[in-house]
Amino acid sequence: MKHETIETNAGWLIALTLVVISIGGLVEIVPLYFIDSTVETVKVAGKDVVRPYTPLELRGRDIYQREGCYVCHSQMIRPFRDEALRYGHYSLAAESQFDHPFQWGSKRTGPDLARVGKKYSNQWHTQHLIAPRSVVPESIMPNYPWLMNKSLSYKDIGNRMRALKMVGVPYAETQAEYDANVKRYGKEVADQLDINKAEENLLAQAKNGNYDGDISSISEMDALVAYLQVLGTMVDFKQFEDGHFAEFR
Amino acid sequence: MSSEKKQHTVQTTGHAWDGDLQEFNNPLPNWWLWGFYATVVFAVIYWVLYPAFPIGNTYTKGAFNEITYTTADGKTKTSHWTTRALLMQEMQEARELQKPYLEKINKTGYEQIAGNKEQSSFAYSTAKVLFADNCAACHQAGGAGVIGMYPNLADDAWLWGGSYAQIEESIRKGRNGNMPGFKASLSAEQIDNVAEYVLGLSGIEVNKDKAAQGKAVFEGAGTCHVCHTKAGSGQFAMGSANLTDKVWTFANVPAAKTLAEKKTAVKEVVANGFGRHMPAWNGRLSDVEIKMLAFYVHQLSAGK
Amino acid sequence: MANVTTQSPEQYNYDIVRLFTIMTVVWGVLGMLVGVYIASELAWPFLNFDNPAITFGRLRPVHTTLVIFGFGGSALFATSYYVVQRTCQTRLWGEGLAKFTFLGWNGAVGLAAVSYMMGYTQAREYAEMVWPIDLLIAVTWVAYLVIYVMTLRKRSQPHIYVANWFFIAFILATAILHIFNNMAVPVSLFSLESYSLHAGVQDAMTQWWYGHNAVGFFLTAAFLGMMYYFVPKQAGRPVYSYRLSIIHFWALIFLYMWVGAHHLHWTALPDWTSTLAATFSILLLLPSWGGMINGIMTLSGAWDRLRNDPVIRFLIVSLSFYGMSTFEGPLMSLKSVNALSHYTDWTIGHVHSGALGWVAMISMGSLYHLVPRLWETKMYSDRLINIHFWLATIGIVLYISAMWVAGIGQGLMLRAFDEYGNLAYTFIETVSFLHAPYVVRTIGGVFFVTGMILMAYNVYMTIRKGKAEAAVLEAKLAAKLANA
Ligand code: HEC
Ligand code: HEC
Ligand code: HEC
Ligand code: HEM
Ligand code: HEM
Ligand SMILES: [Ca+2]
Ligand SMILES: [Ca+2]
Ligand SMILES: [Cu+2]
Repeated sequence: MKHETIETNAGWLIALTLVVISIGGLVEIVPLYFIDSTVETVKVAGKDVVRPYTPLELRGRDIYQREGCYVCHSQMIRPFRDEALRYGHYSLAAESQFDHPFQWGSKRTGPDLARVGKKYSNQWHTQHLIAPRSVVPESIMPNYPWLMNKSLSYKDIGNRMRALKMVGVPYAETQAEYDANVKRYGKEVADQLDINKAEENLLAQAKNGNYDGDISSISEMDALVAYLQVLGTMVDFKQFEDGHFAEFR
Repeated sequence: MSSEKKQHTVQTTGHAWDGDLQEFNNPLPNWWLWGFYATVVFAVIYWVLYPAFPIGNTYTKGAFNEITYTTADGKTKTSHWTTRALLMQEMQEARELQKPYLEKINKTGYEQIAGNKEQSSFAYSTAKVLFADNCAACHQAGGAGVIGMYPNLADDAWLWGGSYAQIEESIRKGRNGNMPGFKASLSAEQIDNVAEYVLGLSGIEVNKDKAAQGKAVFEGAGTCHVCHTKAGSGQFAMGSANLTDKVWTFANVPAAKTLAEKKTAVKEVVANGFGRHMPAWNGRLSDVEIKMLAFYVHQLSAGK
Repeated sequence: MANVTTQSPEQYNYDIVRLFTIMTVVWGVLGMLVGVYIASELAWPFLNFDNPAITFGRLRPVHTTLVIFGFGGSALFATSYYVVQRTCQTRLWGEGLAKFTFLGWNGAVGLAAVSYMMGYTQAREYAEMVWPIDLLIAVTWVAYLVIYVMTLRKRSQPHIYVANWFFIAFILATAILHIFNNMAVPVSLFSLESYSLHAGVQDAMTQWWYGHNAVGFFLTAAFLGMMYYFVPKQAGRPVYSYRLSIIHFWALIFLYMWVGAHHLHWTALPDWTSTLAATFSILLLLPSWGGMINGIMTLSGAWDRLRNDPVIRFLIVSLSFYGMSTFEGPLMSLKSVNALSHYTDWTIGHVHSGALGWVAMISMGSLYHLVPRLWETKMYSDRLINIHFWLATIGIVLYISAMWVAGIGQGLMLRAFDEYGNLAYTFIETVSFLHAPYVVRTIGGVFFVTGMILMAYNVYMTIRKGKAEAAVLEAKLAAKLANA
């Protein structure tokens, strides 16, 4: 076919363009759903260890996105020795399998947060978020004092979990779904993933965790710190042989 | 219609848009064409050597490009080129480089590390950055701490003890100090008096009578002595602060100018109590890293 | 046919072009001011003022959205509507629908900016708009496609001009990318929040397939369309090579769609995908340069005009930066280089050599060509155009060189080991190191936005002048009629 044909016919031009621009995406995206090793299997004693977020953590994650923390912080430790020393074991694909959307980031103005969970105390996080420079004088991170004053809205937590369930996160609403979760994660986790008990679970975790140091109310700080404290803590790499996850690539 | 156009050796395609928009039909520049071919060759070689195309539920793994590495558990493995295998190799090399130092540090005691120039500079080099990336967020650069939040590690006052072993335990297991609040069990006056007494313990000029009444509370209704001991010197076992030294880690007494202000700071602590949490590093940091950190922290306070 | 250029404007729908032209300038000034502000926040964090709406995290997407979609998008709407009419010699199809694209597009940009400041975002770079805005964009975009295709179909020229190939590819690709990247389930019908369809690694790939092509089609292919009209027009010379146009067009649009994963090198994305992205990025180098060659060689007969035509200067510099950033891009796509550059300010520098050097400069050049023709007068001040050019050029140089220092410096510090094989620097030491380059970048930004503000003034005065002249003409005409 001569180019003449294409450039004198809008229909041809459009059709061919569509074909040409569709190929790359199809070849690169679709197989990610079908190649088994893409998302690593991470089981300890027969149970999946990477679980969906609890209701409180989920709300914290929403706030993390709302404030745009991801524009400065990545959650993706790359397989380099300097990153291993600084941040810990490289991130697995499995660890973000319930992240809708993913939070790998594209710029590190601040350090990677993929394994910040349990690194600091709740108290530190609260203080740091209210006024980063009061604990890290060189920091250029903004202050987030309002997180402490704003009470967390959690009335729609059920809807949130249901929406996530629609996109494939194993939150449970029916008995069958709950049972499946017990099998997959064990009872303790399955209880946290129960949509029917979402509000109750959220309140209990906020109260017991006392993330912002004030149990009299549940602030957005509670949720955000609960989220930060779970990051990267689900997989205990001691349970796996060194190099185990290299086999998935 | 292209009358104003200069005559050109190359012909235009003969079409014109919008009056004077035309196109020459110059051939592709040679350097451009060959450059493009070169990138194609590059790409093809790359595809042969590295994992590249998806096929069914697997992908081409790349040929002639294997990576052999030894894991930390001593197993030798070979795999096609992957970023993770590359890391395994990088870690192996670093392990081999650091092994002579780490083995010695692992085996020897703290005193020997301190006494050996090579080992101590190695430990210092490791711990300096570990401290800055992990600990300085709380304890600040150089371990200076923040009164009211994080204890100073560079002075020679310790809540949980300043021996190598005690420091190591602080780091490995973390610490949870808890000073209860007494506003429910003690009257305002009792608290006022006990504060007077506590301030006197570290040599601050106080009202003798009130302090005497405070002493009674300290050793009686307040039960303070249970934790802080009768002398007020505290116990490393539970991290109860030494109240007789001039070091304050929570109540900001040094910043207060007048006695009244100093008392307010102490009363606040006695009335409301406080607790603070030092995270456990076992698991996040390796044993030998913790050891080097303990060594480093010990050095921060000039080894006391 | 020789005097189409002097045909009465009613032959074409210039109203819509005028509207988008004005919005290009408005969004340009606003978006770049926000750029300077966020740059300042990184240099002097107190500027966040504990005010949620203007903290860096919320304001950064406001910047990217205003400059890419507000400034860049409006420039593309304006020029594509202008170009398609003139190269098809036909009036734009669909009067009302074109108005709708104006309202829909600018509405979406404005709403997006406000919603980010209020904390509503999908947290997907360059696609942060919440789902109702996504829907508005989708509808607007379909209207744009329809208008474009219908206009092409009623062209009075058998051949579709090369600029339109690029525009049509841009419209089609953007439609596909936008739809597949924004698929999400809302929390409820009345909630602005939603959760994306994909998760984790598949989501990352989808997002950067989109994200790269926001660059590839929105910020590149479409601007090449712009280039293919305004460069030969302003130079008054034929396009250098028709054959090159064909080859580089098809190569470019095919290859672009493969390279998104170069934003995900060394991550948990499988290595095979990363390889494809790296190699296709290398393959992209020469097809990209095809556009640059075609532009520069077209201008090459007009070198003498470089001395006295500031518009030509904008165009030539933009093509140079296009060449530079499409060289830097493939370089950064190599895994070994990306290991250092990724997550650092080197990426930010690369972005702005493309965004300021290529996208903004070509738009400014094209607008300086367009504005006098739209308002049928001459630019108010050529001197101001010249000053603008120098402010912009100095601004870019300061910006990019500061970011090279920052990015490469930080990258090297973070991977430096001492003689014992231990880390040599802590993260926070790199933050302190970045302060100086951040200040220089901010100064560069001030230069650049000052130029943009001068442009706004110049355009405003030109429009006033154009209107005044038109009024005088009309009065004369009326007087003539009255006398007759
Ligand atoms: C302007 C960029 C910026 C934004 C936006 C930002 N941060 Fe930071 N963040 C930093 C920098 C720089 C540091 C390193 C200095 C410090 O510890 O404060 C940091 C450090 C941190 C740390 C400590 C990490 C470690 O391992 O030491 C946490 C946790 C954190 N940020 C969480 C957040 C959260 C949550 C948000 C959003 C609510 C956020 N950041 C927004 C720049 C930012
Ligand atoms: C989240 C904040 C935080 C971080 C991070 C932190 N610490 Fe602490 N650290 C504390 C607090 C709070 C205490 C006091 C605990 C108490 O009073 O019971 C403490 C106590 C200590 C003590 C005991 C001090 C004494 O007086 O007995 C040592 C030693 C210590 N930290 C070392 C470290 C080292 C080494 C690191 C890094 C590996 C580190 N800390 C990281 C908060 C932190
Ligand atoms: C259950 C044990 C316990 C009892 C009872 C107790 N304390 Fe404490 N106190 C502590 C501990 C542990 C700390 C240090 C906490 C930390 O650093 O995290 C502390 C800290 C303090 C401090 C702060 C010292 C500083 O460096 O800022 C003061 C003052 C104090 N106690 C006074 C008292 C008084 C007065 C009483 C009695 C009314 C009392 N304490 C009873 C355990 C106790
Ligand atoms: C006055 C001029 C400008 C200044 C001062 C400026 C400043 C900034 C700053 C400070 C950032 C954030 C960088 C970071 O997070 O570290 C940024 C990001 C960005 N800007 Fe600009 N900007 C300007 C103009 C533009 C223009 C005209 C465009 C596009 C046409 C643009 C496109 C972008 C993009 C795409 C990003 C995101 C980069 C990324 O995520 O990698 N900017 N800009
Ligand atoms: C052949 C051409 C190009 C290639 C191969 C290319 C490649 C790259 C690479 C490798 C990155 C860094 C990704 C990372 O490490 O995170 C990047 C980032 C970027 N490039 Fe290019 N680039 C090209 C041209 C351009 C042009 C012309 C622009 C015009 C504006 C541009 C805009 C951007 C933007 C906005 C980003 C930042 C994306 C983000 O992280 O948010 N690129 N590009
Ligand atoms: Ca980015
Ligand atoms: Ca969106
Ligand atoms: Cu890209």
